[in-house]
Amino acid sequence: MIAFIVRRLVTSFFVLLAATMVIFGLTSIAGDPLADLRELPGADGERRMADRIERMHLDDPVWLRYLNWLTGLFRGYLGVNRDGQDVGVMLGDALSATLQLVLAATVLAVVIGVCVGIISALRQYSSFDYGVTLAAFVCFSLPLFWVAVMLKQYIAISFNDWLRDPAIPPTVIVVLALIAGLIWAAIAIGDRKVKLIAFGAGAAITAVILTLLSVTGWFADPGIGLIGLAILAGGTAVGLSMLISGLQYRGPLYAALAAAGLGVLLSEILTPVLADPSWAEIFGLALATVIICIALGYGLGGLLRQQAITGAVLTGLITGGLIFVDRLLQSFASYSDMVRGRPISTIGAGTPNFKGDFWQTNLDSAGHLLLPSMALVLISLATYTRYSRSSMLEVMNLDYVRTARAKGLPERTVITKHAFRNGMIPITTLMAVDFASVIGGAVVTENVFGWQGMGTLFTTGLQQVDPAPVMAFFIVSGTAIVVFNMLADIVYAYLDPRIRLS
Amino acid sequence: MTTSPKEILRVEDLTVEFPTEDGVVHAVRGVSYALHEREVLGIVGESGSGKSVSSLAVMGLLPRGARVHGKILYRGDDVLKLPTRRRRALRGGKIAMIFQDPMTALNPVHTIGDQLAEAVLAHGLIPRKQALARAKEMLDLVGIPQAEQRLRSYPHEFSGGMRQRAMIAMAVINNPDVIIADEPTTALDVTVQAQILEKLLEVKDAVNAAIVLITHDLGVVAGIAHRVLVMYAGKPVEIGDTDSVFYRPRMPYTAGLLGSMPSLETSGGRLRPIGGAPPSLINLPPGCPFSPRCPLADATCTAEEPALGEAGEGGHLAACHHWRAVAEAPDPTALFHIESEAVS
Amino acid sequence: MTISASASGAAQGMTVVARTQGQMVRRRFFRHRAALIGMFAFGFVILLAFSSIGFGPIPGWWDKTYLTTGSLVNQGRPTLSVVPEFLGGEGIHLGEHPFGQDNIGIDYFALTMRGAQQSIIVAFIVAIVATSVGTLAGAFAGYFRKKTESFIMRLTDVMITIPILIIAAIVGRTFGDSGIVILAICIGLVTWPMLGRLVRGEFLSLREKEFVEAARAVGTSASRIIFRHVLPNTVGVIIVSATLAVANAVLLESALSFLGVGVQPPDVSLGQLIDTYRSAMTTRPWLFWWPGVFIIAIALSINFIGDGLRDAFDPRQTRVRA
Repeated sequence: MIAFIVRRLVTSFFVLLAATMVIFGLTSIAGDPLADLRELPGADGERRMADRIERMHLDDPVWLRYLNWLTGLFRGYLGVNRDGQDVGVMLGDALSATLQLVLAATVLAVVIGVCVGIISALRQYSSFDYGVTLAAFVCFSLPLFWVAVMLKQYIAISFNDWLRDPAIPPTVIVVLALIAGLIWAAIAIGDRKVKLIAFGAGAAITAVILTLLSVTGWFADPGIGLIGLAILAGGTAVGLSMLISGLQYRGPLYAALAAAGLGVLLSEILTPVLADPSWAEIFGLALATVIICIALGYGLGGLLRQQAITGAVLTGLITGGLIFVDRLLQSFASYSDMVRGRPISTIGAGTPNFKGDFWQTNLDSAGHLLLPSMALVLISLATYTRYSRSSMLEVMNLDYVRTARAKGLPERTVITKHAFRNGMIPITTLMAVDFASVIGGAVVTENVFGWQGMGTLFTTGLQQVDPAPVMAFFIVSGTAIVVFNMLADIVYAYLDPRIRLS
Repeated sequence: MTTSPKEILRVEDLTVEFPTEDGVVHAVRGVSYALHEREVLGIVGESGSGKSVSSLAVMGLLPRGARVHGKILYRGDDVLKLPTRRRRALRGGKIAMIFQDPMTALNPVHTIGDQLAEAVLAHGLIPRKQALARAKEMLDLVGIPQAEQRLRSYPHEFSGGMRQRAMIAMAVINNPDVIIADEPTTALDVTVQAQILEKLLEVKDAVNAAIVLITHDLGVVAGIAHRVLVMYAGKPVEIGDTDSVFYRPRMPYTAGLLGSMPSLETSGGRLRPIGGAPPSLINLPPGCPFSPRCPLADATCTAEEPALGEAGEGGHLAACHHWRAVAEAPDPTALFHIESEAVS
Repeated sequence: MTISASASGAAQGMTVVARTQGQMVRRRFFRHRAALIGMFAFGFVILLAFSSIGFGPIPGWWDKTYLTTGSLVNQGRPTLSVVPEFLGGEGIHLGEHPFGQDNIGIDYFALTMRGAQQSIIVAFIVAIVATSVGTLAGAFAGYFRKKTESFIMRLTDVMITIPILIIAAIVGRTFGDSGIVILAICIGLVTWPMLGRLVRGEFLSLREKEFVEAARAVGTSASRIIFRHVLPNTVGVIIVSATLAVANAVLLESALSFLGVGVQPPDVSLGQLIDTYRSAMTTRPWLFWWPGVFIIAIALSINFIGDGLRDAFDPRQTRVRA
């Protein structure tokens, strides 16, 4: 394992080195770095040109400039841009914004994409499958920048306007309820009667929830509330137990329900801690959740101890996540006031000079992250959906899945234990490839949403034929891609015992 | 007749159809047979003759979209009508299956021990330790050395023969009544084939199971089956005691199969292959499906498909208009000999 | 039809309806409804783009060009109407400027058609260059193994470390001024590595592939397996990825032009139109809508064609109707 990492790091180092050469060379010859100064008249222009020539060593050949930059890099110095600003300092500000965006988009795309893809595969040739396939194709064909501009124009601005008086018109409720009903009918398997019931129930529940939300003005002052929390956490517990061990076994079910109940109870008891926590405290709580849930699973699991522990830990973490979201939503009203009623932001990575408590600050970044990551997710989402669908379909037809069925395993176990893990193996490779395109997409998204992120560093640098910021962008993104690739390989080897990391 | 063993599995007029974009594939067109306790029934036929599909139907492992008709009676219960949960309990519990290719039939990402123990746990909630102990016992039974350590191995660390042993262990781990072995030795080396067959019989005796042995290799059947069912184009064309079918075939196709088999006696001489190819199961020709390849075919054969009927004593059945001619021929395989020489 | 097929089959002594691989591929493709719609739509877009304003010296049927400015009619709003009068609309008509006009009065339909032409040309050149280079490199790597393989693979390693958009943007910045053909060739030259890897993988796995066994199961002879199944199988992968490469190239070109490092004025492309008029989004959204709609239409129809081709070439595709 360690040998593998070291070897990969060494090869990656040389690969990156070669790539920097390519990029530095191409950027340096991409145009005239003095273009903007040539138009300046007289002595001033000439003086500034001479300045820049000296600063960027334009009299030296490109390879010498590259070596110069490289030696600087090994001393941890990223050089200056054409105006003499330290690129290292510029990078520091840009880095966290972009990383947030890229990670949020990747995580969301993987989780949602894989789930939708698997359901789609298990319901092959159903209307849900066809719908998802069509949606994926549309997503594949959307230009990212166009989507971003559309989201900015229509979602953000209109949504903010709507939030002033958050009532949902009855027609919208009806339409949304019908759509929800259709989705449920498409997922349900069975004859026409089953589908009709699914349609009716789905539509009715959606309509009731939406009406309630509208009447109570929920969107102006949202929150899940204790009852909502209890219902959602309980539902999670039951759903996960059904998936992991089946409801006929009591041990795992009780363990998951206990985890959910304890979580809901603690959310009340811990109110003083949760009023304005720090990230360290949140992580501490998450850790405590895991430990307690392991104990619950161990104690209540009986013969199915392993499944009980898995179920309890997952339930505990999801309940914790729900509590987190609940707290965030609770501070929505106060946050909305602080930003003059425009919570969904269209410009930048954070409100300038924003000061608030833990929840408000996080809500602020979330509000700024929402649209760019939505745009970015949309593109990768389609890829993950398609790949996990076809991967699952392929695996479901393999001999060992048939063997698993022949053993008399319930279909649930066949899917979760035998098909899922094997189906995810190619997805790890996809993640490595997709990560690079998400970084590319981030450049475009930042451009649309006016983020001062690494993408800006790259585009401005490239436009100005200024290699230092471009290289800074590449060093970070290239390293991220290499590290991500390596992680993907490690996960791959973990999932597939036939692969040895050496 | 009082000593005759009880019937455990009975298949009646089983048909399986797959609707595809090119038309409906009639993969199995009316198969009937009975299996008695501790009996070995050989099902023989070419690829695509429906022998595998019919046994997958018995297991309930056909892909979605397959249309199954007829009856499959396990100890009197029609399994096609059982509720899902009871059918699942039967599968791997009372009726187990061994697949053709041991290289792909085991899940590469789980250990052998895990995959064996899982089969036990699927049919009863017992502590995992006990299930693993049972798994070890089974690996010992099928002759895998150092079973304790081997439980922790992954399939790719096993040779083909060892994987097939593991598959056998997996099949008998719940003491089944019926083991369906679908070409269990086809993917293996010849030297390993004999070992596996021997092990299969040994294990069968250990758990008192009956075996349905599906193969295209008559040599495999000859050695171990009590009765043989020959299938062609989705239908049984001959069924009878092994000796009777081998020494006095009543159906030209069986004779052709026998002639296609290299043996020490015919060494030096040439094989007597059957010309042509099996028919498409989408557009079956009218009449006997074997008639285009049959040296005895005449107008009756292309007009009317023969039914499976009594062809001689001892419960020997055949589906051929000319079964008497085949039965009376001094060497039925020679029918094809003449044909192939005439062609070449 | 069934009767004659089975009768002739019986006469030959076998009823396997022998179809060549090509016939089967064509049949499966034409059964793929989405692919047919995609092909029809893409053909329509090409026809519209090239016949309306003409191409090179050939004149088109549209009476305005993408260069002539004019006076703004009704603030340049589109005159296209698709709502019939009995529904309270203005009736179905094109009008003087169906897509509207830009801020200096150029007919936006002509401009969009020009952009579509250029985008399609760029996309095709990019896809052809990338596919040829990728196929060659992949085939060499897969066939010769050893040193050739490790050299090509290290090269693709280097290229894959750089996101496609980034390397294409850098190349675009350098060669954007040299006209769209040079630009497209250069982008093609840096976007082949993924395809190269795909082809290599295909070459490596084809030897040990199991569909050979499936072909045997339906009674196919050895030489037929090799020449009719294995060989066309690489061609299938290449054709499919080449098709999808066209769709990706349309999107890539538009993204580059949007960032200002793709097609440069006086050339126009769909992405460049969106970039030029992005600030007009709130006041004159049609300047933004039309090129976007055409990008999506082109990319979507090609993606559908690609999907149809993939299904047609995939030998495992014998769908069981549920």
